[in-house]
Amino acid sequence: MGVVILLVMAAGVGLMLTRRLPTAFALVLLAVVIAFLAGAPLTGKNSVLDTVLQEGAPTLAATMIAIILGSWLGKLLDETGIAGTLVRKIVEFGGDRPTVVALGVLAVSALVGTVTGSAPAAMLAGIIGIPAMIAVGVPKVTAAGTVLMGIAVGIPFELPVWQFFSTALELPIPTVRAFMVKLFPFALAAALAFVLVETRRRGTEHAWSLKSVEAKPRSRRADLGDAPWYALLAPAVPLVLALGFELAIIPSLLAGVLYALATTTRPGEMNKRLLRTLYGGFEVAAPPIALFIAIGILLAAVKLPGAVDALEPLVKGVSPQNPVLFVLVFTLLVPLCLYRGPLNVFGLGAGIAGVLIATGIYPAAAVLGMATSYNQVFGVADPTSTQTVWSAQYAGVTPQQVMVRTLPYVWAVALGGLCVTAVTRL
Amino acid sequence: MTTSEPASLIGELTDPASVDDVEWAARLLAATPTHEGRDPELLRQWARRADEFGSRLAPVRSTAHVIERDDGLKRMLLARYTSRPPTVELYTDTLALAEELVDARGWRDWYPPGSVRAAALAHEAVHAHLHHGPAKGALRQALGHTVLRLGRLRVAGHVAGAEEVAAHAYARTVCGLGRSPLLLSAALRAALTRPGREN
Repeated sequence: MGVVILLVMAAGVGLMLTRRLPTAFALVLLAVVIAFLAGAPLTGKNSVLDTVLQEGAPTLAATMIAIILGSWLGKLLDETGIAGTLVRKIVEFGGDRPTVVALGVLAVSALVGTVTGSAPAAMLAGIIGIPAMIAVGVPKVTAAGTVLMGIAVGIPFELPVWQFFSTALELPIPTVRAFMVKLFPFALAAALAFVLVETRRRGTEHAWSLKSVEAKPRSRRADLGDAPWYALLAPAVPLVLALGFELAIIPSLLAGVLYALATTTRPGEMNKRLLRTLYGGFEVAAPPIALFIAIGILLAAVKLPGAVDALEPLVKGVSPQNPVLFVLVFTLLVPLCLYRGPLNVFGLGAGIAGVLIATGIYPAAAVLGMATSYNQVFGVADPTSTQTVWSAQYAGVTPQQVMVRTLPYVWAVALGGLCVTAVTRL
Repeated sequence: MTTSEPASLIGELTDPASVDDVEWAARLLAATPTHEGRDPELLRQWARRADEFGSRLAPVRSTAHVIERDDGLKRMLLARYTSRPPTVELYTDTLALAEELVDARGWRDWYPPGSVRAAALAHEAVHAHLHHGPAKGALRQALGHTVLRLGRLRVAGHVAGAEEVAAHAYARTVCGLGRSPLLLSAALRAALTRPGREN
């Protein structure tokens, strides 16, 4: 039966790769089929309807709330001009040197990446950051890659991601935080190397573009003006509270929302702005929430006793226990998290992680190391992930060009993360 | 075009030459990210200063390798400079269309035959010059955009897009053009984005 379940998983990957089914729908379908194959009854204990669908769907509820709050804060950073001001100041101070501007946008992207993820994070930093980099001579692929690498620097400190791994892998937040702190230097080093090496290798680029002038004067967005300097600290507030003061994730994010609001908005306008940005945040959060509901359902399915019994001997047989082999094998498997592949943490990879833990093949902390290492690759180089698609297209290049340029750097991050995992968790 | 649009705008779209060079430069700045919401008068002031800076630049010799390509219309490009290796790409299809447009508009007195290609080379030579030398700092000082003041210390900030304005002004001056190449860019853009046109 284990082989059949693996074949069903492979078919699910096929459905996602060929885009016949959206990832969230494919995961739910997979979960239901796996549950039936594992011999689960329709209702009752360890059943398809009660356990997999009813109990599985809200498993990641805390993550969903964190995602909504992160998206809310992201909307506020946009509407109050905080993100735009950060990028504008960087260009004004460093514009003569493209590398300095790119490093500045990298820093802003990292800050934004700690608050929210996916395309909204890329937009917050990239809407002004990407064309601003191109305007000072940074080549387009490098500009798109800089925003993505920057967001990836923030991922280890993205509080909703902590919540996700904590709930999905049943690990306490301090364990997740401790590993993320170790992963961060690799992400930072790779991002700095990307900017320094790529701006040096590719040099600068200036185009006489016919798009540079418009016959019709551009209709301007309402003049927000620059946000005050102390408001620019808003993206760092949740991180400082959660990392420095070990405050829980949801209050930390709420504090960020309140700080951004209080430093930019007149008291009479606060209610309106809070509601408007909250509702806007729901729109932004809808796609990841759909995915997290599906992942919760899949996790419930692969943890059914029947599924664990069927999969254990098979997965055990192919999972390396030797630390060196562990690093080697899982580093070579990195490309499998691209193109919605089977190791994509926000797809079938979550199910595989669930199997590895439920069958006791690796400790949950080791699976955390693997999953977060792969997440660093997926977050930057996957040509199907929304942030990569948006950044590439906005810069005027293809997601594949961005993947080719960034993959060596994020592959190195994954190697670093897997080495730390092998040394500390196996 | 809607009936509510002012007559002056309709005139600009049919006759871009009715807009002066500094206004085109100010519009380039306005369309450059980081200038959202800036006072139009400030943008005009920066445009004028960058234009003057480019016009006053001593002749610049370019050592960049020149190559020709024919996919400019698709990419909306006329020329491109890359620093590694120093190369100027000239898009021959866009240059040919520019020459056609100059004749069609009756602008030959402003843009003599072959001058668009010469302007493209001069424009990209300025980018190379600004990239490698101290002139970038001089441009920043000329623009006078103060981003930080600490007592008597004044930090001049970068104005995104000003280099492009200076490069166009330099090309206009050294190639003896009657109007800025920006006018030609605007006319080319209008021609290429005209409804019903296929590249």
